[in-house]
Amino acid sequence: MANELLFFMEVLVGGLLAGTMYSLVALGFVLIFKASATFNFSQGAMVFFSVLAFCGFMQDFNIPFVFAFILAALLMVVVGLCTERLVLRPLMNASEDTVLMATIGLGYVLEGLAQAAWGVEVRRLDLGIGDFPVPWIADNLKLFISALDITAGLVAAIMIIGLFLLFKYTKIGLGLRAVADDAGAASSIGIPLKHIMLLVWSAAGVVALVAGMMWGARAGVQFALVDLALKALPVLIIGGFSSIPGAIIGGLIIGAVEKILEVYIGPFFGGAIEGWAPYVLAIFFLLYRPEGLFGEKIIRRV
Amino acid sequence: MSDNSVDILDIKNIEVMYDNVILALHDVSLKVPKGKVVALLGANGAGKSTTLKAVSTMLASERGKVTKGSIDYDGNLIEKQNPSQMVGLGMVQVLEGRRCFGHLTVEENIISGAYSRKLSKGDIDQELEKIYGYFLRLKERRKSQAAFTSGGEQQMIAVARAMMAKPKMLLLDEPTMGLAPQLVAEIFNIVKELNQKEGVSILLAEQNTNIALKNSDYGYIIETGKVMLEGTAESLLNNDKVKELYLGISKKGRKNFRDVLKEESLNKKIN
Repeated sequence: MANELLFFMEVLVGGLLAGTMYSLVALGFVLIFKASATFNFSQGAMVFFSVLAFCGFMQDFNIPFVFAFILAALLMVVVGLCTERLVLRPLMNASEDTVLMATIGLGYVLEGLAQAAWGVEVRRLDLGIGDFPVPWIADNLKLFISALDITAGLVAAIMIIGLFLLFKYTKIGLGLRAVADDAGAASSIGIPLKHIMLLVWSAAGVVALVAGMMWGARAGVQFALVDLALKALPVLIIGGFSSIPGAIIGGLIIGAVEKILEVYIGPFFGGAIEGWAPYVLAIFFLLYRPEGLFGEKIIRRV
Repeated sequence: MSDNSVDILDIKNIEVMYDNVILALHDVSLKVPKGKVVALLGANGAGKSTTLKAVSTMLASERGKVTKGSIDYDGNLIEKQNPSQMVGLGMVQVLEGRRCFGHLTVEENIISGAYSRKLSKGDIDQELEKIYGYFLRLKERRKSQAAFTSGGEQQMIAVARAMMAKPKMLLLDEPTMGLAPQLVAEIFNIVKELNQKEGVSILLAEQNTNIALKNSDYGYIIETGKVMLEGTAESLLNNDKVKELYLGISKKGRKNFRDVLKEESLNKKIN
């Protein structure tokens, strides 16, 4: 009995920690959705683009880890800058749907640029953190939990706290929250939308980089990272598109539920239900709580 | 062109189109003398909001455009500026329908008005205290979420927020919409006080003709995108046609100035 409980705990904790990796991806979506009420279809491409650049800096130019990270983060700020200037500003007064379509195009551009610059082969990313159980926890708590999962959890927690402080206590954070509430009123009192957009896209770019590093370390830095965006969709539906805590909790729920279902119910379906179980959960949310757990308003269908 | 120095705002014969097809203003000219309160009166759809947005350059975000005429504000020709540049020049619009940031606290809402100014934390606190001096009610509710405050309080937040930008000129779009008479009076008292103590020039769009004129120096009445009548507030309050059409002291079935003009031209033909 004790063993079974222990096993359940292990599945649950493993799932929750894996869920924070989803949260990281979802976080990027939420940032942009808050400021421009648009689902950013290029978020997956941003993940791919940023982490591939990071790998390129490190592996092709032998730049040390920290500097490669800083360079990649700066590159994402430049991407944010270009996006604001070349895509968002000309579409300033266009409908949200137009911006939505533009983000799809932006995604293709980023995918193409990344592959043109750094090649198409799968790269291995070694963060120096293994994707295997931490011995100390295995010995003392009898739980087998991956070190990478724990790191992802910690990184997610740090990013959340950082973003929370940024939004709550800085001037530009106040500006962002004002724009998220009512962009028209914000611009009527002189909050420059372009600064806010730049901030949000840069922040989303850096979040994409971090998410990409975590996922790249687990599954290799490859084109499939683009499809991570799809995994974030149920997270967003459950957590709410406009809520940062929602992205976190949504990710945790998806992570835990998919692992538990996989282990306990999966065998009845011949396994591999991890892939679609989150979407079933998302459909239930769409039916009974379409604004998500923490959503501020009814989400836009995408 | 010579004595522009006394008028902070001088709108000359503007025409405004939305989406390149919908003509919202035909021909609007008006002046706001420095330090005065000018009322822009008219029914729904007359073009009051459009006029204000043409001045604050908020039109662009609604795909509207000034297609003829000119707007001169404090020595600047208003053409390609954006709203945040206008705020920098000291012109702030308080949009129709209050438009508070619902998820922010009352105080955060007000502070957000100072976004365009480079103020230290201490300066902001000082400004805040000054603003609370005019809006005593808001001080009590400073920590509440704006979405949970009453309509009157939200209107006060919107005006207080605009005042934090330290405007030379305020554009108020229907500040009393949907408010109880007592609150309407309270809002107007504050507006009057801001005008007198802070020296802010005010262009006020209102449907509530009576109270707007009682608190203004000068008034314009617009209908279907045209200025129909203008005059000092007193002369408008005593004008028979204004009384009849806007103050509800009616004689016959005439409803607007167009009917009056039609009648007059008919009379002319008969005579």
